[in-house]
Amino acid sequence: MLRQTGALAWRSVVTTLRIPQAWFPSLFFPLALLAIFTASFSNAPGRVPGFPPVRGFLDFAVAGSVLQGVLIAGTGAGAAFAADMETGFFDRLVASPVSRWAILTGRLGASVAQGVVQGLLFLGIAVAFGARVEGGLAGLLILALFAALLAAAIGGIGVILALRTGSGEAVQGTFPLFFVLLFFSSAFFPRETMTGWYKTIADANPISHIVEGMHAQVIDGGQTRTTLVGLAFALGFAVLSVGVSAITYRRRLATQGA
Amino acid sequence: MAHAIEATGLEREFKGGIKAVAGVDLQVSEGEIFGFLGPNGAGKSTIVRILTTLLRPTGGTAKVAGHDVVREAPAVRRRIGVALQDAAIDPFMTGRELLHLQSVLHGISRHDGRARAQALLEQVELTDAADRRVGTYSGGMRRRLDLALSLVHEPVVLFLDEPTTGLDPHSRLTVWNEVRRLNRELGTTVFLTTQYLEEADQLAGRIAIIDSGRIVARGTPAELKASVGEPALTVTLAQPEQRESAEAALAQLGAALPGSSRTVGIRMPAGAAGLAPAVRALDEAGIAVAKLDLAEPSLDDVFLANTGRSLHGDDEDDASS
Repeated sequence: MLRQTGALAWRSVVTTLRIPQAWFPSLFFPLALLAIFTASFSNAPGRVPGFPPVRGFLDFAVAGSVLQGVLIAGTGAGAAFAADMETGFFDRLVASPVSRWAILTGRLGASVAQGVVQGLLFLGIAVAFGARVEGGLAGLLILALFAALLAAAIGGIGVILALRTGSGEAVQGTFPLFFVLLFFSSAFFPRETMTGWYKTIADANPISHIVEGMHAQVIDGGQTRTTLVGLAFALGFAVLSVGVSAITYRRRLATQGA
Repeated sequence: MAHAIEATGLEREFKGGIKAVAGVDLQVSEGEIFGFLGPNGAGKSTIVRILTTLLRPTGGTAKVAGHDVVREAPAVRRRIGVALQDAAIDPFMTGRELLHLQSVLHGISRHDGRARAQALLEQVELTDAADRRVGTYSGGMRRRLDLALSLVHEPVVLFLDEPTTGLDPHSRLTVWNEVRRLNRELGTTVFLTTQYLEEADQLAGRIAIIDSGRIVARGTPAELKASVGEPALTVTLAQPEQRESAEAALAQLGAALPGSSRTVGIRMPAGAAGLAPAVRALDEAGIAVAKLDLAEPSLDDVFLANTGRSLHGDDEDDASS
């Protein structure tokens, strides 16, 4: 099963790399947004009331970009899974003696690999432009772990949507929803700067807690508690989403008879 | 002889009570090429999906290569090769990469997988295109690659769902030759669905005709043709005034069929074997013959006789092409 998972994950990565439309947006949009935000809000830290002490806005926003890239990659994984069902590739797999689970773990594994590589790339670019990861190497590893968990979580949601709708377009169509969730969180602005109903949503949004755990590693390096809370949310999210995707997947195979 | 495929009372009912398969019995012997002939929507693909463990039957049982398709699905999957109707091929990978991937999925070692891929690429005449992305392949090349993919693990039973639908003549011949070679050299049992009478006639030792989820006729192509009628001989006369003496000369050989002013027709139960006596009789009567036609009933006639419809009657694409 491991060899099959590896082979299928490799195939997912290769096909993603060969479709520029599949990886370009997940690299380009977060970076573009990061550049725009950093240019526009470079003065926000220190001036906006409530903005916590931070060296620069770039340090603050990079975690949100990593998250954003993972969101795009994860919906892409879901869309690719749907495409496999639509083209019949899925049928070919199911009709061969492939472990049922390798089909799912192969796809999610590729999504995790993409999330981690992309996350580290974003951090690298941010560092090149003057950001500093205060958590050091350990901080980087923790951020990579965040990216991996989130990639699994979002990939899982993508797979659930793919299994439910059977259409890659439908999966892609849910993407703006994730984006709204991202913006109604503390990904790009600290909750301290928010007021009213916006703050209420951001407080309730699990993404806020996840992204704050990531912020802690970039900005502060300490704040073990915030980091752990963030990791716990990310882990819970991943377990829930992968778990539900596994159940949905098994049910789908059962009704088909495979 | 053992059965490679054995189905009893197979049924599949979809939501809304539509029975795509309504009680199908099948016995396919080991080493046989079995043709499953029927129009679009007759239930061919549904049966293939059940036999290849992709779809659970709602009634009846089926065994493939000695294993139950529901209870022993993994054992079935190890022994079958499947090339489904929509060639399920990743356009962004090369033919060789897909063959390697398929080898890994079947648990074949890397080294053996590479050798196997090369051999299969040669068999289906794709060596030149092996390292190109599948997206650049023609429909026929994809179908040939699809066939190669289904053969990676040397299956005992091969399922081909409309393997040549929409193919150019060259690709169709390549597929046919490969199917014959597999059957002859490796003894692979082949279960083939098709809308083409010619394909069933060319490849299959035995045929079942399916319509609306039920098998309406089965047998060898010759048996099926014989069941709908005898071959007919039509003689076109060089001199129409000899019509009456021609009729008299042929009368002893078979029942007369309606002809035109220049032709005389008789039934010829013996088929081609009856030709020589007919020619002799005509010669002895001194009749000048312009043309002789021996028409065998086609599988299309068989289909028409069993379903009351022509196989491609309501298919405009086929009618116009």
